[in-house]
Amino acid sequence: MKSTPVRNGINAGIVFGILVIFSSLTGFTLTATKMIGNAVNTMKLMKTTGAMAWVNLVIFVILLGFFAGWMAAKRRDPDKISDALISGLVAGVIAGIIAAAYAFLIGSLDAAKVNLRNYLPYMSKDAIKQFLFLKKNDLITPALMHFGYTIGGSLLGAMFARWIVRGKWRLNINQKFVEGSTSLASLPWVVNLRNSAYFRYIALGLVFLALFFIPRSLSSYWNYIIGLVGIYVLMGLGLNIIVGYSGQLVLGYVAFFAMGAYSFALLTAPEPHHIMLTFWQALPLSVLLAALTGVLLGLPLLNLRGDYLAIVTLGFGEIIRILLKSDILAFFTGGPKGLRQLAQPKLFGKPFHGDVEYVYLITLAVILVIFVTQRLKNSHSGRGWESIREDQTVSQAMGVNTYSSKLLALAIGAGFAGLAGALFASRNLFTGPEDHVLMVSINVLCLVIVGGMGSIPGVILGAFVLKGLPELLRDLELYRMLAFGALLVVMMIIRPEGLWPSSRPKLENQFLEINNSPQPTGESGEKAG
Amino acid sequence: MIWLISRLYTVFFVEQVYGPDTWMRLAVSGLILGGMYAVIAIGYTLVYGILLMINFAHGEVMMLGAFGGYFAFEALEAISAKSVENPKLNFLNAQPLLSVFIAFLTGMLVSATVGYFLEKIAYRPLRNAPRLVPLISAIGASTFLQNSGQLLFGPQRRDYANPDILTRGTGWIINVGGSKVMLTYTGVFSFALSIILMVGLYLVVQRTKLGRAMRAVSQDKKTAALMGIDVDDIISKTFVISGVLAGAAGVMWGIHNGLINFYTGFIPGIKAFTSAVLGGIGNIPGAMLGGIFLGVIEAIGPAILGIDFQLKDVLAFSILVLVLMFRPSGILGEALTEEKI
Amino acid sequence: MENILETHRVSKFFGGLTAVDTVDLQVPEKNITSIIGPNGAGKTTFFNCVSGFYSPEEGDIIFMGKPIQGLPTNEIARRHISRTYQNIRLFGNMTALENILVGEHPRMQSNWLEAIVGTPRFRNDEKNGLAEAMRLLKFVGLEGLGDSLARNLPYGAQRRLEIARALGNGPKLLLLDEPTAGMNPQETEEMTLFIRSLRDQLGITIILIEHDMQVVMGISDQIAVLDYGKKIAEGTPAEIQSNERVIEAYLGPGADKLSEKFRRKKKSHEPQNA
Repeated sequence: MKSTPVRNGINAGIVFGILVIFSSLTGFTLTATKMIGNAVNTMKLMKTTGAMAWVNLVIFVILLGFFAGWMAAKRRDPDKISDALISGLVAGVIAGIIAAAYAFLIGSLDAAKVNLRNYLPYMSKDAIKQFLFLKKNDLITPALMHFGYTIGGSLLGAMFARWIVRGKWRLNINQKFVEGSTSLASLPWVVNLRNSAYFRYIALGLVFLALFFIPRSLSSYWNYIIGLVGIYVLMGLGLNIIVGYSGQLVLGYVAFFAMGAYSFALLTAPEPHHIMLTFWQALPLSVLLAALTGVLLGLPLLNLRGDYLAIVTLGFGEIIRILLKSDILAFFTGGPKGLRQLAQPKLFGKPFHGDVEYVYLITLAVILVIFVTQRLKNSHSGRGWESIREDQTVSQAMGVNTYSSKLLALAIGAGFAGLAGALFASRNLFTGPEDHVLMVSINVLCLVIVGGMGSIPGVILGAFVLKGLPELLRDLELYRMLAFGALLVVMMIIRPEGLWPSSRPKLENQFLEINNSPQPTGESGEKAG
Repeated sequence: MIWLISRLYTVFFVEQVYGPDTWMRLAVSGLILGGMYAVIAIGYTLVYGILLMINFAHGEVMMLGAFGGYFAFEALEAISAKSVENPKLNFLNAQPLLSVFIAFLTGMLVSATVGYFLEKIAYRPLRNAPRLVPLISAIGASTFLQNSGQLLFGPQRRDYANPDILTRGTGWIINVGGSKVMLTYTGVFSFALSIILMVGLYLVVQRTKLGRAMRAVSQDKKTAALMGIDVDDIISKTFVISGVLAGAAGVMWGIHNGLINFYTGFIPGIKAFTSAVLGGIGNIPGAMLGGIFLGVIEAIGPAILGIDFQLKDVLAFSILVLVLMFRPSGILGEALTEEKI
Repeated sequence: MENILETHRVSKFFGGLTAVDTVDLQVPEKNITSIIGPNGAGKTTFFNCVSGFYSPEEGDIIFMGKPIQGLPTNEIARRHISRTYQNIRLFGNMTALENILVGEHPRMQSNWLEAIVGTPRFRNDEKNGLAEAMRLLKFVGLEGLGDSLARNLPYGAQRRLEIARALGNGPKLLLLDEPTAGMNPQETEEMTLFIRSLRDQLGITIILIEHDMQVVMGISDQIAVLDYGKKIAEGTPAEIQSNERVIEAYLGPGADKLSEKFRRKKKSHEPQNA
């Protein structure tokens, strides 16, 4: 299908029209407008509460229109202003018509006293009122307002898109940035600084100071969040080894987390088994048990192809959860109620209390895990894993024992999850079947893929983005999973390698630096060889 | 294996824990369930055959179809069809056959649309990407659709408003071994419809031009394209058909089981996938067989094994795990070809 | 030990199809042997048997005096047999040097625990491994491309990288599957010289599957011809060139007479280039 401005406009218009309806039906419009109101208020632009609340909706509609226009116009390089305008106009009109018709429909139904709330719980009276710009008994005006504002926003968006796409200023800025940073990097004193050992130590020292002092200055709530992010980093790094390095798609990762948490709990809780080991005794045992689970799970499944392994591990994760929740095994697992009063770490006889110490502990665990991962990555084990991911048959023909290699990846990945699980349980002083649902597996997979598969900084970034960000956007809690799902799809389409993709080690450079040979003419890649 | 047979013998003949009426009841419910699994499983197998990927979001397609049927029934119930004898009559009960037909149509239409857009948005751009990528996208789509369901329709379960003649829990009573067993109207209806759909699909795939094209594309995309087949179009149509089936299954589920919510598609989705794998993924008769087989096993398995019915999901998952471990090609499937060297 | 590799009546069946039919082959040490034959003759299947990808239903394969049929491929690699592939199979998302390093896997002494802890043996492994990989990189003429992703390399470089990777485990026997496929005459010439240098400088025994007859005739010490899974001829290039059965296998029955005429004509016009 040839893409003409009109067609782009139609496509974008329909998409955004549907988006408007969807957003309203799920109550997102209401939430978003509230947030806009808060933002505008805090920026002290104007007070948009009370009677002026409908201004928030105006802003929202204009924004939606803006994106519609953007999407319509950016698809082709708009050479002519008229092209961009046409796309924007068409998009706006189409989206506007849809929005207006919907507003009309909602208004009519509301006027006819049809209780939509029965079927669509988020269409509260408030939501409907607000969607109609708070105009009562007037069906036409809200519809027209939607129509108008959408078109306006769309035109703005289209123009903006054209400005961005065509703007040479963007290339210029990019160029200047690159030039600036390379010249900065090659300044002699900068080079010396980067290479000197002192710099490294000082930098590390600063990082450690930050890690030490920041938790102390934050509230308990934020420490909890940081701790949670840390735990997910641990899991992410573990799954990264399994999925990112060795290429085995495991969808039941939560099973290992559960093994760690439950081993820890069963070993330290007063009921049902009264074993009551101390924290430091139970922790390594939990990790080992989780690792063992990884091996046991892997043994029969090693020959399965990608999709099948995924489903089987998903099934396995669910089996574990159901078993943990069942009443039959409650005598062993504690049943649906979970296990309480778990051990806390004691350092030199003093028990932990408060989240600050836990944050330290988790940070230590993260550092340890990063260290182990990094070491493994730059060894023949790590390269073996990656070769398995690339081409398992050939990898084995190169001498890699793919069987034991994959088991090792599973064991280590599971072990990290077990560590995370044990720490999680200890911090909460509790664990139960609801802590180990499928969503956890999907969360971890999400943050590994979105962050960058096979990349340590990517995983950390992913954990921050996918676990930390939602906390900052508390109001959007309801829409978090929705955003997850959409994000996964979008990321796979536009940037499957992740936010911070893994970078390959520059071994040749490394080798030549060590041996002080002169560089070959032309940097790597240019010489014909 | 031996243990299993001896266990079967014990349970059936020696212990007589359950009477023949119970077995009959369980078997019947197993067949009905199995029929639905089979219909959903065909959807999985069709997509896998043609794209070699597991459509994780298929369960959600079914769920949305179920909601489509739900809203259809609600709307039809709201329409009045007053008559002199029965002032409270609504359209649903005045024209039950038509109503059911409309409900199915709605459900299937909704699911077909969802399936179509699912392929267009989440899978088509990734047609040539390595295996892992569309899989992740499928997981994302599944999460998105599931949560859309939650946000649109709320977390509470909704009751399907069956027409009176298809009231849940009513049916024919037959005599088995001295006790009475009920064959519910909804159950019989579901099972019959499942069979019809399965036969219909089989005929489409085997006898029509479209079916031929689908089979060609699933064998070798490039060659099919060279033969003049519009591969993208066929793939779209496959998703539409798979959606139609899922939608029908969703409405059946609603009619027979009554309660639906956004989560309704998840477990049946996995069970249906298990069925497809059991029968041999990519093999349509296999999917049908696998579905019915799994449904029956799920119903009578716990009774045979003497374990709690709470664990029936564990049974289904365990079967999945075991089948994939020992016979990944399934009952009827061909062995997965190893890569060419 | 005279023959580094001997196969006795090796046969491979796929269902009803006999892909390889009682093939005997003797390969003396430091020999360059070519296996030729029409498409579908079973050459790659035979390779796959020798390199451990398939397990022959009948027959044995003896390498340096020990039977290797049916061994897993990683064990084969440990015993210093390597191969390349018809459609290049590099580890695309890893750099050239990383690819070669994976090829050196059998030579690694340390295990994963040592990697984590960082023992001297591990450090030596890494250091020596990298040095060796650099050496191999230079040897195949890819110096400077070590940090490029394998999938970004041009075709000719990829072929050479695959060979470098195959040299990683210090092979005594190297199986090359159509090493000059897709190459122009100049590249083919270079590759031919390179293959010879592998034998001359590194003392590696080489078996290759080739379709380019000039390469085959020019480089081989001995040639084995397969057709429908059976070995129909064996000998020096000169012997094979005049072998009736071979000509018929390639060109169809009766072709021998035609080519006889052609050969006589050619002989009278110009000297053969070796």
